[in-house]
Amino acid sequence: MSPATIATAVRRKVPLLRDEDTVSDAVARIAEADVPALPVVDADGKLLGIFGEREFIGALFPAYLEQLGYAGFVPKSLERQLEKRASCGMEAVRKYTNTEHIDVGEDHSDTQLAETFLHHRVLIVPIVDGGQVSGIVTREDFFRALASRFAEVT
Amino acid sequence: MPLAIAIFAGALAVIASERVDRTKVALVGAMLVLLTQTIDQEHAIEAIDFETIGLLAGMMLIVRVTEPTGVYTYLAIRAGQLARGRPLGVVASLALSTALLSAFLDNLTTVLLVVPITFLLADALDIDPIPLVLIEIIASNIGGTATLIGDPPNILIAGHTGLSFSDFVVNLAPISALAFVVVTGLLYLFFRKRLQIAPEARDSVMELDARKSIEDVAEMKRTLPILVVTLLAFFVHKGIGLEPATVALTGATAMLLVTRQSVEAALRGIEWPTLFFFIGLFVMVGALEETGTIEEIANGIGSVTDGDRTAELLGIAWVSALGSGLVDNIPFTATMIPVVEQLQTDDADDAYWWVLAIGACFGGNFTLIAAAANVAAAGMAERAGRPIGFLTFLKVGVPATLVSMILATGYIALRYL
Repeated sequence: MSPATIATAVRRKVPLLRDEDTVSDAVARIAEADVPALPVVDADGKLLGIFGEREFIGALFPAYLEQLGYAGFVPKSLERQLEKRASCGMEAVRKYTNTEHIDVGEDHSDTQLAETFLHHRVLIVPIVDGGQVSGIVTREDFFRALASRFAEVT
Repeated sequence: MPLAIAIFAGALAVIASERVDRTKVALVGAMLVLLTQTIDQEHAIEAIDFETIGLLAGMMLIVRVTEPTGVYTYLAIRAGQLARGRPLGVVASLALSTALLSAFLDNLTTVLLVVPITFLLADALDIDPIPLVLIEIIASNIGGTATLIGDPPNILIAGHTGLSFSDFVVNLAPISALAFVVVTGLLYLFFRKRLQIAPEARDSVMELDARKSIEDVAEMKRTLPILVVTLLAFFVHKGIGLEPATVALTGATAMLLVTRQSVEAALRGIEWPTLFFFIGLFVMVGALEETGTIEEIANGIGSVTDGDRTAELLGIAWVSALGSGLVDNIPFTATMIPVVEQLQTDDADDAYWWVLAIGACFGGNFTLIAAAANVAAAGMAERAGRPIGFLTFLKVGVPATLVSMILATGYIALRYL
């Protein structure tokens, strides 16, 4: 199993989100690109973070949910409150962008990607070249490539 | 001596500005007084009050092990439901449960447990959560005043004086209860228009299934009896010849033995930044003592009051309330303890400690930065998309502090003068 090949094989070129895009636009573009998240950049194309499935759930559900830690006692009837939060669709995506430092350089290894997926619970890792996003690796693609190689060698 | 004062005053100013983490500031201050030989290492280590550190670490562990069982969430939900959606009842039950939890857990922990549930209840009742959160912060600081373990200033005072848990309850619980009733009542009147609950929303809070909040019944059965025994042991610690830190650390050790959580997971519950903040603070105050600064401050106060006990007691109470509001009640109390010790001419006259405790604890309501619990609650509210600004807090914090201190002045006059 060559360390460089998996990361190279699963790399994708994707559209980028601007920090001022609305949440609704961002969700539509994520669905269109068929990836779990997209990189968010500023006006100069500098990577600010990522916005995806997890961040959208965070925008739509009340923020205190994360602080509760457990929500088994919350009744379904409270879900009508979601309607109140539908307005988040018009908010700028920067408000909900995950700004954890999770990008890797062009010379990244599979081990670096594995470590990033393990420690940051993110669904994509942006690849940055000279400050600009040159592609992404999704966790699903990485898993599929790993599984395929694993099957070949066993 | 000027160097010790300059380092301490500089550290206080930076802590109050909130631009740098307070633990970093305290540790830098401690290192500076050591590096400049303002205090030598031997005396610096002697200045660290390990009674306080032990009590804090023990209680942090106990809370960390019991918290994932969901028992505190259960209590908060039941408190919210007891009122059956009536605004006054909601305020009273949430404030009372916060004050009671604060009396036996530390304020910071209480706020971290209660605030998310409050947001959930407010969502269910379709009301603004901020008035409830503000009332809870105030109730937490007033409730924490009642016991030795309720608020860091009391833990500091107990660590220094050896006054017992019962001494604290007997002297502080009455004024804490009185201030709680009056201040909570006034806050309800102030906020009542923002707490109107529509009849159809009243039932929704009853749909929360409190029993489901108990995540781990077996773990609760293992750990809850130890929590109860530990809290009861605080009431009799003097009688059985044990210091509060020994009681807390014994309870924490027993928890570690019975819990299914790993030692590593349990120890992660210790807020190391808080403990190191205290250590840095103790070393800086030790330097002030070592250089004679504390004695000079005490002499200065003594010359103003001319040794008049009434002036000294009321002066300590009010200066502590205002000083805690401007700085943070923990460093303020740590500085005041040796000053009060100098002013106290009769060792048996404990009134000096009670007025310090009342002033510092009630002063925790003065501003947003006056107590760690206030800052933590504001942080949670901000993450929930409802930030509480410095001025917003000031509008309720200042009146709440003034009312509670006016009541405290009457209490001090009746009981100690």
